[in-house]
Amino acid sequence: MFRTCDITGFKVDLQSEKLIRYNAVVSVVSLLLAVTAALLLVFTRYQPVHLLNAEWYYRLVTFHGLNALIFWIIFFEIAGLYFGSTVLLNTKFCSPRWGWIAFILMVAGLVMSNVIILMGKADVMLTSYTPLKAHPLYYLGIILFAVGALIAVALFFGNLMIARRDNTYGQSLPLVVYGLMTAAIIAVITLASGAIIYIPTFLWSLGLVQNIDPAMYKLIWWGLGHSSQQINVAAMVSIWYMTSFLTVGGTSINERVSRSAFVLYILFICLASAHHLLTDPGVSSAWKVWNTSYAMYLAVLASMIHAFAVPSSFESAQRRWGYNKGLFQWLSKAPWGNPGFSAIILAIIGFGFIGGTTGVIFGMEQTNIIVHNTIAIPGHFKGTVVIGTTLTFMGITYYLIPLIFRRKIVGFSWAKIQPWLFFIGIALLSISMIVLGQLGVPRRHWDSTFSGGPFTYNFNPAVDFFWALMMLGGVIAFIATLIWILIVVISVFWGPKVNGPQDMQLTISPLAPAAKEHKGYEAPGTLVLTMIFLLVFLALFFLNWKWLAATWNVN
Amino acid sequence: MSLLSPAEGWYDKKVSKDEKMWMLIALILCLSMFVWMILWHVYGKQNPSSTTYRTSTAEFSTLTEAYIKKNQIGSDNGIPIVRPKPNSDVFLMAEMWRWSPGLILEKDQKYKFHISSRDIVHGFSLQPVNMNFQVYPGYDYVLEFTPTELGEYKLLCNEFCGIGHHTMIGKIVVIEKDEDLKKYGYEGFKKEPDPVPAAGVVANLTEEQKASSGEQLYTLKGCAACHKVDGTNVLAPSWKGLFGKEEKVTENGKEMSVKVDEAYMIESIKNPKQKVTVGYEKTPMPVFPLKDDEIDHIIAYIKSLSK
Repeated sequence: MFRTCDITGFKVDLQSEKLIRYNAVVSVVSLLLAVTAALLLVFTRYQPVHLLNAEWYYRLVTFHGLNALIFWIIFFEIAGLYFGSTVLLNTKFCSPRWGWIAFILMVAGLVMSNVIILMGKADVMLTSYTPLKAHPLYYLGIILFAVGALIAVALFFGNLMIARRDNTYGQSLPLVVYGLMTAAIIAVITLASGAIIYIPTFLWSLGLVQNIDPAMYKLIWWGLGHSSQQINVAAMVSIWYMTSFLTVGGTSINERVSRSAFVLYILFICLASAHHLLTDPGVSSAWKVWNTSYAMYLAVLASMIHAFAVPSSFESAQRRWGYNKGLFQWLSKAPWGNPGFSAIILAIIGFGFIGGTTGVIFGMEQTNIIVHNTIAIPGHFKGTVVIGTTLTFMGITYYLIPLIFRRKIVGFSWAKIQPWLFFIGIALLSISMIVLGQLGVPRRHWDSTFSGGPFTYNFNPAVDFFWALMMLGGVIAFIATLIWILIVVISVFWGPKVNGPQDMQLTISPLAPAAKEHKGYEAPGTLVLTMIFLLVFLALFFLNWKWLAATWNVN
Repeated sequence: MSLLSPAEGWYDKKVSKDEKMWMLIALILCLSMFVWMILWHVYGKQNPSSTTYRTSTAEFSTLTEAYIKKNQIGSDNGIPIVRPKPNSDVFLMAEMWRWSPGLILEKDQKYKFHISSRDIVHGFSLQPVNMNFQVYPGYDYVLEFTPTELGEYKLLCNEFCGIGHHTMIGKIVVIEKDEDLKKYGYEGFKKEPDPVPAAGVVANLTEEQKASSGEQLYTLKGCAACHKVDGTNVLAPSWKGLFGKEEKVTENGKEMSVKVDEAYMIESIKNPKQKVTVGYEKTPMPVFPLKDDEIDHIIAYIKSLSK
């Protein structure tokens, strides 16, 4: 059963649409759980308030990690994969029945793990490093979830095959779907790592396996934990290209380059687990250097290519629309009032300048010494997963509400400021955490006054300022997330129905006119921006190495 | 046309000049960073080591305890303090929830640290220099440190290790000459550690000698991490005034009252899960491998705290 979208002209499989809606709804619920916990955590670490007791602090750190990093993101990605493989390819969903089985398994996993955590049977953090042991049902919950997700990914490939067989999209996959396919392939690799480690750990928690080596556990766990973040990167970058198309009618200025960059992700990103073993015993320096650099930084190269290709797709299209003056008219005349657009641009900036720079620097073998397990690490991934992925997903949701849920956005003026508010909140939170970490503050630590310990330690007095800033950022980000959730929930359940293009509050741009033959620079503004990025990166790079050089000698 | 199949001829489209330029810069940056890490191994002074030995938690705690017994010159808040000789091997053990021993190091001297855990994964976090390493049970991580600045350093744990994680904090001081010890209140420490009695010599100890041996065991075995002797009850009942007291405990889910006597203490040390003191269910006591005479000495020490 299909309907033809009266706004975009795509053929929409109604079964697929229903699955997309359900997965998206559960992801939003997970986000609500995650941010509620996050607010309580921020107010616990902010020592003057010190809200929760130690037990509940660690419990909610576990809870927050699982709901934010796994449930919110993966449910949303599954919705995205279904969207990309059916709606965008004008094809039907290969097996709705298996779609529902996957969904039920994932929801069962979510409920089981969350209940066990809240019962206090799994205070082990998201990473659950052995020999810390959780209740068997906690591991089982995650396994169920992962099996469900794996089925969903298989359905994505099934949809692609049907579309190919029925020849619904022309010769080559659209770039967005190509990127999503990259995400799906990486998902298979990471979920397999997850199975390899969670199944024996589950048996160990039942007493059927004697011993899980802690170093082996950590190596394979991060094959899931870090590589799965590259699913997010691939999915997020795909959405960035999609937004360029929706908002200004742009596309990558050279699709071959963009597609090659996606291939580099598949080839090299699976080495990311090494980032977590840089200051560990058991593996040699040669192993660390090779793996942490993703084989000479070829996966970083991929991100750098997208860092040019994505903004230049906006710039090139805008220039073809006639915004050709100077270096940056294309940017100043961009549709900033469109929350889909502003969210994505802010996500790109935050991901690059906060998450990307710190990611590369912290992931170098030696500089990792000065940040490993400090609060700078969650600071880094607030920059990647929260500003990058989450804000991107929030932004694209503003398009999904009218196109998939067929509702008008309620409170559209709030939607316009929401991305900015969220960006400011998380940027403050993330940067404060990075600075605190550089001052030695540990992550996942209940009391920085060390009450009850044989000694105490006073951090550099500057930490007080950054704790306050972190709390402020956390509160702003919480409010922004709440606004987004309210907009989404009210629109989806009670919003006025969309009956055609006249009800679209967000513009959908027609394709930008074809380029006139021209030689030389196609996106000079982007080149300037990427150069600024490069300079910021180099400054941070040398700063970190200078700090490292000031520590004790170690060999 | 990212939502649609790309236009005809997309594969043969020439890459624009600026994009080419950027990709070249990015590639150079990537390769340089790779080479940089290798060069730092040659010219840099901070490199995580590749030396690891397989060990077991039992073996490593025996080694560390023997090391402390042989080299202890004093104690600081229940943590035994050792002053290793430059260029010597230093054993540092992480456990729930303390680092032992505390160390006195000399500036610009090399020390070969052996770091491992007695129970679960911990995080070595030396402040304020901010150097961080991972500590595993079963792996002896060998790191050769050379302190480059004088002063007092604290060793935090930055890997979650249970409810008392935040109390896990150790101490290292770096000195240049013996006078510096005064700053840390260490001037009264012994110049040399006591000689270890030759094996086989079992004397009939007086109650007082037993208590003093028990006090040593109290720091050595890590009782001090949870049990305080000043009357404060944070993670576990304080030992001050404990002997002879009535305590509320839970056995097999039933609450009852017991008198803290020798039999109860022996049972509590050998089988701590049997009777759990009410109020401390969240910080269960681990089983410590103690010999009978060691238990005897610890009990003598606890008795002495109730006088």
